[in-house]
Amino acid sequence: MSYELLSTCSAIASKLATKYDEFAVMIYEVNNVMSKIINNQIALNLSRNLYVIDLYLVRRKRIFTIELSTSDLSQVIKLSDDISNYVGLIKESELYSPLPEVKPVKPLSDILDRNVENYLNDPRQICELLINSAINEGVDRVAGTLSLSIITKALVGSNGFEGLERGSEVTAYLRVFKDDSSGQWAYGGRSADLRSLEEVGRKAAHYALLGRKSASITPGRYDVILSPLVVGNLFELVAMMASAFYVLSGFSIFMDVKQGDKVASELVTLIDSPRDIELPGSTAFDDEGVETYDKEVISNGTLKTLLHNSKTASKLGAISTGNAGWIVPRAWNIVIGTGDSGEDEMIKEVKNGLLISNNWYTRFQNYVEGTFSTVSRDAALLIRNGEVVGNVGRVRIADSLRRLLNNVRLISREYYSIKWWEVTVPTKAPYMLVSDINITRPFE
Amino acid sequence: MSEDLLNYVVDYALSIGAKYAEARYQIDEYFTLILRNGELISVNKSVSEGVGIRILHSNVLTFAATNKLSRDELINTVKTAVGRARALSHLVKTPISFSEEKLGRGSYEVKVAKDFNSLSVDEKLDILSDLHRSATTSVKEVSLPVTYCEYVEHVQRKMIVNSDGGYVIGNVPRLSIMFNLVMSSKQKGSLQRLMQWGASGGLELIDLWRPVQSVEDEVRRLEKVLLYGVEPPKEPVDVVVGSEVVGLMVHESAGHPMEADRILGREAAQAGESFIKPEHVGKFKVGNEFATVVEDPTIPGSFGYYEYDDECVKARARYLYKNGVVCEPLHNRQTAKIFNTRSNGASRSMDYSSEPIIRMSNTYLKPGGMSFEELIEDIRLGVYIKSYMEWNIDDIRWNQRYVGLESYLIVNGELGQPIRNPVLELTTAGFYNGISGVDKNLAFYPGTCGKGDPSQGVPVWFGGPNVRLSNIRLGVTV
Repeated sequence: MSYELLSTCSAIASKLATKYDEFAVMIYEVNNVMSKIINNQIALNLSRNLYVIDLYLVRRKRIFTIELSTSDLSQVIKLSDDISNYVGLIKESELYSPLPEVKPVKPLSDILDRNVENYLNDPRQICELLINSAINEGVDRVAGTLSLSIITKALVGSNGFEGLERGSEVTAYLRVFKDDSSGQWAYGGRSADLRSLEEVGRKAAHYALLGRKSASITPGRYDVILSPLVVGNLFELVAMMASAFYVLSGFSIFMDVKQGDKVASELVTLIDSPRDIELPGSTAFDDEGVETYDKEVISNGTLKTLLHNSKTASKLGAISTGNAGWIVPRAWNIVIGTGDSGEDEMIKEVKNGLLISNNWYTRFQNYVEGTFSTVSRDAALLIRNGEVVGNVGRVRIADSLRRLLNNVRLISREYYSIKWWEVTVPTKAPYMLVSDINITRPFE
Repeated sequence: MSEDLLNYVVDYALSIGAKYAEARYQIDEYFTLILRNGELISVNKSVSEGVGIRILHSNVLTFAATNKLSRDELINTVKTAVGRARALSHLVKTPISFSEEKLGRGSYEVKVAKDFNSLSVDEKLDILSDLHRSATTSVKEVSLPVTYCEYVEHVQRKMIVNSDGGYVIGNVPRLSIMFNLVMSSKQKGSLQRLMQWGASGGLELIDLWRPVQSVEDEVRRLEKVLLYGVEPPKEPVDVVVGSEVVGLMVHESAGHPMEADRILGREAAQAGESFIKPEHVGKFKVGNEFATVVEDPTIPGSFGYYEYDDECVKARARYLYKNGVVCEPLHNRQTAKIFNTRSNGASRSMDYSSEPIIRMSNTYLKPGGMSFEELIEDIRLGVYIKSYMEWNIDDIRWNQRYVGLESYLIVNGELGQPIRNPVLELTTAGFYNGISGVDKNLAFYPGTCGKGDPSQGVPVWFGGPNVRLSNIRLGVTV
């Protein structure tokens, strides 16, 4: 592994020790290739070989952070010198608390798929697999992205922590078109799992083909099946709102909710799962050197915990949950608890409703009350008496996130590992049937 | 970074068979202050510095970025990118080429009246703390449980060299402030408002914006909206959409659908495609005579300001829609070639590690000659939507929604009682055909426009006058 990276962290740390009471140095080395597929061919190949240095600095309880995308180490020292001049001019941070005491951290194993290293220099096989997996199902047009990365992370802290991790990441998503209909699917994982990658094309094509017949719908309340892509998008926002920083800052439906309060249907369990090595957000330690662990944020509908670093924990009388972010705690991987239904069984349950296969552009009118809307894209399938009867096109879920969470009625057994443009935290997401959801579209 | 080294990289790429090569050195420096309830949480500095290299080789357009800036590392980056291009070349069916252009050779810089160092950090913090103080002391019957503020100074410098003779140096400083508040009433629930200021320039912008006064005035008005706001009329009425909302609407429903790469399907799997097709240019009628939307990177002091794009093409104003007709899409050299036209300088990159793609800069609806009073004087019953929080639009930029925050009834030509959360949900044609008047009050608002994968956020302005729409049925939130 790149012990050189750890040495660099230590070398920077030794220079910070004279100027700061506390500090942490984190370096990411990213080797990434991204191939963009457009109209069934490769339109662009991106290669990025980057070195990113992040510093956390504290003097007299004033907090400073520095992010540097540079390999010029002299800049690191210069900036940390410059920023120390502010110490006498500013007040203590409202969120200050000392870096936590170092405890043993159990490392994660098997987070590097060596095949990804090979595919980095020749992504042709996977690109072909992705394109053909959809074309072979009978679609006209394929667009999408394959991203392969090897990421090394090193952390050294003034609390004595030293950690090093090297892992792989594979993200692939396709949007495929058949006539006026489209479907989309995605995969995010640690490994170049060819079966899962092939499934991306197949699932996207499945919805593109299902949506070829058009149907109409009037705005109103419907039972709605959310695909794993939609569940991933909405539950990423729920997880973001569970970050104690966003609760403190007014960007959360949990602002006036206490631990132990019911916030969702009893079927809903949301887990932050940094120890799930199949997902690329997995990590053994957080940015403060605290060992990560899997935790239920929502357990059978009850809020169990917010996500904390040591600062938010200190402010709110909790303990760190191993989710630092030096300033903002965040989820590493999201796993949504599965149920005992299947996608087909869910469809049979719906008398008059929709299956929304994909969404984008989720925006809130009020984060505290959770009023939001999001727009469907790709197949939005009208279901009548348990049968798919056509594609209603682009409609909107316009409701309250609180209501949506409470109205979950069925969850599927099957789940998918998802990461794409609209699901940025790696997520294992099932299908969900949600009752009585407000659907809108333009009046004219 | 020396020009010679960038030239060396370009020449090396050509020497191993590239048809086109460009090397862009870019450094982005940020200084950020984060406050909650007027109290400082943290001070952040960030520097992103490196070289982005774009090469057309083996019919594959390849982009590579590195922040390891020695000659050897840069050449290795070119070699790796070319190797990967070769590996993928048989998956390319349509050869890529660029439009012929007379590329720029020059430099540009935004001059500031007050340098970022002309105020000390504690003086800046005093101003930002005052935002919270003025907000909390301006309300009488409601509470403000939390405010959140981010203050960002950004300096962006670029040096671009390409194999077609382009050579451009740019230097643009920008300032932005974001202030979010939650207002709460035991009886009436809560509302949330996110205010933003942003432009290119220095600390003189704070004198111009007067953010403390703006917060004070707006919070007073929002208190009335929360306490006394009623539901919007259920029947179709005339709706006057304020500049802030109009700006966003033209950004979403004229700017994005007129990006030529989107029209050609290059963003299909991410931000989507466009209701506009290549054959619509110069022909398709999207609205009435009021529907004139301009996109202009050269507005002095604007948030989206630049003089040359990242392909060294000279920037200029363009008409996206002109008197209701689809006019000129935003182009880079690749899409211009496909459309058999010339690039209009829309290629931008967020940072050195991002490929240059077609982006907006400053987009606005052309204003008219009326005053606001004249715009509303003959409305018997209507609604004025001054600001918004929630919005979205579909992936072809046709079906759009904006939820009003500060909104009022219009009764007999005058503003009346406040309204809570009116929903304007309409199609793009419904908006541009529904305009029955525009006033002369052109105003701009800042935003960070997202596009591409890896996602790139670039600073933009969007703006417009106040716009009157006829016969609109408003919805309500749940």
